[in-house]
Amino acid sequence: MALDSARYAELFRSESQDQLATINRALLALEEEPGSAGAGADVFRAVHTIKGMSATMGYHAVAEYAHELETLLDRMRGSGDRMTPVVMDALFAAADALEAGVAAASESAERTPAMSEALENLGSAFGVGRPAASPAAAADGQPDPFDGPGVILRIRQSPGTTMPGVRAYLVARNLAAIGEVAAMSPPLELLQAAAAPQGFAVRLVTRASATEIEAAVRAAGDIEAVQVDMAGRARKRPATPLDTAVSEPVSAGPRQAKIDLARLDTMMNLIGELVLVRGRLLQLAAALGDDALDDTVQATARLVGDLQGEITASRMVPVGQVFDRFPRMVRDAARSLGKEVRFEVEGRDIELDRALLDEMAEPIVHLLRNAVDHGLEGPQERAVEGKPATGTLVLAASRDRSAVLVMVADDGRGIDRARVLERARAAGLVAPDTRELDDAELLRCIAHAGFSTKEAVTSLSGRGVGVDAVVNRVRALGGSVELRTVAGAGSTFTLRLPPTVAIIRALLARAGREHYVLPLTHVRETLAYDSRVVGQDGGRDVLTLRDEVLPLRDLRDVVHLDAPQVVGAEREIVVFERGGRRGGLVVDELVGQEDVVVKQFDPAHGALALFTGATILGDGVPALIMDLGSLL
Amino acid sequence: MAHTVLICDDAIFMRTMVADILQQAGYEVVGEASTGKEAVEKYKQLRPDLVTMDIVMPDMGGIDAVREITEYDPRARVLMCSAMGQQALVVEAIQAGAKDFVVKPFQPSRVLEAVQRVLA
Repeated sequence: MALDSARYAELFRSESQDQLATINRALLALEEEPGSAGAGADVFRAVHTIKGMSATMGYHAVAEYAHELETLLDRMRGSGDRMTPVVMDALFAAADALEAGVAAASESAERTPAMSEALENLGSAFGVGRPAASPAAAADGQPDPFDGPGVILRIRQSPGTTMPGVRAYLVARNLAAIGEVAAMSPPLELLQAAAAPQGFAVRLVTRASATEIEAAVRAAGDIEAVQVDMAGRARKRPATPLDTAVSEPVSAGPRQAKIDLARLDTMMNLIGELVLVRGRLLQLAAALGDDALDDTVQATARLVGDLQGEITASRMVPVGQVFDRFPRMVRDAARSLGKEVRFEVEGRDIELDRALLDEMAEPIVHLLRNAVDHGLEGPQERAVEGKPATGTLVLAASRDRSAVLVMVADDGRGIDRARVLERARAAGLVAPDTRELDDAELLRCIAHAGFSTKEAVTSLSGRGVGVDAVVNRVRALGGSVELRTVAGAGSTFTLRLPPTVAIIRALLARAGREHYVLPLTHVRETLAYDSRVVGQDGGRDVLTLRDEVLPLRDLRDVVHLDAPQVVGAEREIVVFERGGRRGGLVVDELVGQEDVVVKQFDPAHGALALFTGATILGDGVPALIMDLGSLL
Repeated sequence: MAHTVLICDDAIFMRTMVADILQQAGYEVVGEASTGKEAVEKYKQLRPDLVTMDIVMPDMGGIDAVREITEYDPRARVLMCSAMGQQALVVEAIQAGAKDFVVKPFQPSRVLEAVQRVLA
């Protein structure tokens, strides 16, 4: 049975990523509380699992590295008092080398210098020698039990095996009936105690044929795969013990299957197109006026809606999957700057579309780095300010109606308004007589491409992505960014995201002969144009709504439409809101409400910044999606 | 000819369930026992092809019953029926001579797979 298929390789990578996240999380916990046996055990178990999976895949370099790392970790057990910062750094570096190894894993990959160095450093930091180079010779000088005559078996139990330990015992019993079990790895005692299905290796001295051996193994029940290697140790490579191929607990949670993300993307795109076709079908059916056809089309439309909901839900993942990578990054950044930072992650269970979450990782990293780099002060400066020496950085996800909010908040020095204003004036981003910037204007300025108030860009946050990139990315995904900053008290960036990409609910507005898409996320209400509520205030058009005076724009002006307004036509007003601020937009007509599929587009240079995407409407006509918030 | 089965469990509910699963799959249930002692006696009397054996039963537990049955007939085929969390007892039963095991709550497919393995 070929284990090295693309499907297994993909599984290997995704599960290894999970394990690496666990390792980093546990190392951070260990650093907090050096004696934590739980965190130590988590690291050990995760390294062990990666070892087993990579051995199963035939990725020897990673498997052997993981094995040696595991041996070192084993020796470090119960030595909480010796977990010095030097040891911790060596552990983090060892985890990095493992991650790099997993990323580059292949059957032919050799051990990298980084791996050797990591083991060397960890060993000397902890004051134990590096383990013998090959797992074949165990550290205490005993010969490798797999070094000997016989047949090498690699066995993996089925997912969902009940009492896997007893099944493993049955394998040993069945094999003992046809030969002599010379070695098992992991040892039978460990296998018997296992709560989850395992992978394991056996050296069997026997005269039985491969078929007989396989039959004996399978007779133990719940066996997913058996490899019988009759050549045994004739090969050069030592048989690295093979284990936990299936690491999930058997009974926990709902039944799950890992699905290729590309497939989910294809489904999402197909359903997007299907939704488009549905819109068209509804229009056509309505035009024909046939009741039976109408019913059928309506039923189809409903089913398409349900299907869309299910597919969208299948792509939702907890943000923790990505957020869990950040504590490590924040720690490293803070350490390299000599800052003390307490990093808190909240709302890890909030779900977001997987594709969207992946897209958001980079902007969030940038905001976190900015906070550590520029926002949070060093311990001395904080002491002078009368703040606790340790700064606080919070990354929180939450739900707000149909949106997901991601907040990055620090209690640092806040953004220097005066300095930004000065530079903004110099760059001509604001009128020369501007006295003060409010938060929204401040964000608009620092989000301007190439704008930076730091003359000397540090190595940390100077790497390409600026706030402009963050804002653009979020907008392109149909979201928006808000900023609150208070001098001396810190800054908070709030990213408002649709929980899923691709399909949005929107109002269709007409101006002249063009249709524009207004996402419902920002729409508060709509009303008929009424000259009694519309007026002028200080030379600007305003809308008076329940005693509140809101700025009012005309869609025709916004899109630079020259054609004259049809006299006597009834116009309508859309009231929209972002970040607590509201405004009104006069449109010729509200054509309807529709689900539109967002097509990303790269706006031509000089194009109006208020469009975030395009879509094809039900009648096949393209329309631009408007970012209402940008009108405020 | 259908394989014959002796079902041993102190709960009528469990005996009925196992019997249903096996009968629907074409096996012939030739007897039932509700204690370990009764299981040994019925085995000697009926000589079934297969015994399903609960672990915890009054008046001689399932493990001792397996031991006595295997002593009497080394070729006896006994399938242990265990509850969750009884790993150690299941291993002990296998060491006493049981061939395989199933874990409650029973899934018919799993029971039949185990039966087929034992009778193979």
